[in-house]
Amino acid sequence: MKEVDIGIGPCKCSAVHRGKKSFIGKTIDGIIFFMQDAFVTESFSRRRGLLQSLDPRAKLISILALIVATSTVGNLRILVFAYLFFLLVAFLSKIEIGFFIKRVWLFIPIFSGFLVLPLVFNVFFPGDPLIQLIHLGPGAHLGPIPLPESIYITKQGVNAATIFMMRVATCVSAIVLLFLTTPQQMLFKSLRSVGIPKLYVLTLSMAYRYIFVLTELVSEMYVAKKARTIKARGMFDEQKWVGGRIGYTLIRSLDMSEKVHMAMMSRGYNGEVRIIQEFKMRNRDYVAGAIAISMSVVLVLISQNIIRV
Amino acid sequence: MIPIWIYAGKKLSTLGSRKVPFLALAAAFAFVIMMFNLPVPGGSTGHAVGGAIIGIVLGPWAAVITISVALALQALMFGDGGITTYATNCFNMAVLIPFIGYYAYNFISGKTEITSSRRVIAAAIAGWVSLTAAATWAGFILGLQFILYKDANGLPLYMPYPLSVTVPAMFLEHAFAFSFLEALVTGLIFAYLQRTDPSLFYGEKSESKKSKTKKAAPV
Repeated sequence: MKEVDIGIGPCKCSAVHRGKKSFIGKTIDGIIFFMQDAFVTESFSRRRGLLQSLDPRAKLISILALIVATSTVGNLRILVFAYLFFLLVAFLSKIEIGFFIKRVWLFIPIFSGFLVLPLVFNVFFPGDPLIQLIHLGPGAHLGPIPLPESIYITKQGVNAATIFMMRVATCVSAIVLLFLTTPQQMLFKSLRSVGIPKLYVLTLSMAYRYIFVLTELVSEMYVAKKARTIKARGMFDEQKWVGGRIGYTLIRSLDMSEKVHMAMMSRGYNGEVRIIQEFKMRNRDYVAGAIAISMSVVLVLISQNIIRV
Repeated sequence: MIPIWIYAGKKLSTLGSRKVPFLALAAAFAFVIMMFNLPVPGGSTGHAVGGAIIGIVLGPWAAVITISVALALQALMFGDGGITTYATNCFNMAVLIPFIGYYAYNFISGKTEITSSRRVIAAAIAGWVSLTAAATWAGFILGLQFILYKDANGLPLYMPYPLSVTVPAMFLEHAFAFSFLEALVTGLIFAYLQRTDPSLFYGEKSESKKSKTKKAAPV
């Protein structure tokens, strides 16, 4: 945790070690990455920027409206516009743009990119050729599957794939922005405004807190194991060890829930959840909410072809 | 999905004031379970989903809330799992996996002793069946999107592949790869719990009277 560098933000820099990492090293790295990330996230929510100054409820509803609206848009130009809009908001909220873009695009190529990649080739979907890759000649086939005469990247495919990726990126940007600019406990409390019962708001914020307790438990187990490992044992033995540790964590967390419950009871908790209401809507919150909601409406109207651009 | 959550909440009201800490810690566990890397053949590593074991140990209704909370945290923290798809996701991972896992486990283990090795196998099979079924269902939903949402030119708006691609793709890769890992991990966790604290499983039906003895093993 000591090497946290807020300036650059989290990155998987630990890849400098050459060669394959054991599952132990990978777990420890993953946990350090997770902790750093949470730490950096906290630091953003304390800056004095545009989004940080808004009421969490107004922010939550605005962002949700924009996400729902964005997910209906199928026009690339509008999506790029929406994405740039979120970049601008990120900038005004004093979030480093480089960090923000990296954070959003870190996972997208892995999941969505993998999903849409086959779409661009005419093997799966016919379309007008854009770039020809291989000329196979007539009658080519892969095993029992007949292949077209030549394989090329189609215009329609690239277009559809780009729209798909942009839409994912825009929605992820919005939610990352919400999480980065709101202190977690506030964010959970603000969920009351979209109708989540008090009980689950409390559960959510407690779960968030105990994730870190349990994560530390896990990291201690792996560090302890690493410290005692001279030579790796057989794979099944190692897997058995992991299974045991997960089971142990389960026992510990149930046990801890018992203790937490007693601690809560002794402080006067009787099963009824009370949450201090400390939010206050100001004019700027109403303005921001109105802007976001009207923008969402416009996006939906455009996507339904009611407004033409 | 909302009626399921409300019903699950009602089901758990027997927990009384214990409800919040119990669900919170269990959700934290459901979140943390994916941090455990374990070695798999080929020098790579993988991690488990853990829905089945949570369903077996906590009961399926508690698992519904627990996993939903963990998924909500994931969606908020990483933008991962999505907001607009949250309900579908929850149905898949917080309802299908624990319920199928729970019933598969109960069906196979029957009336055997808590400590019998048949239960370990039952847990492993429950892990395999539940993940495979949920993955196939996810494939079905994705394929359905392809049919429902298309633009004017017939190009898909959201999901680029039809049912005939998504269902086999999700089924095959899970049935022959990921689900085996899930089965292995579920079985191993179960075997450990059985050895260490079998009292966990006696109160399967009523989570409320969890007066279990503390027999936690040393780290």
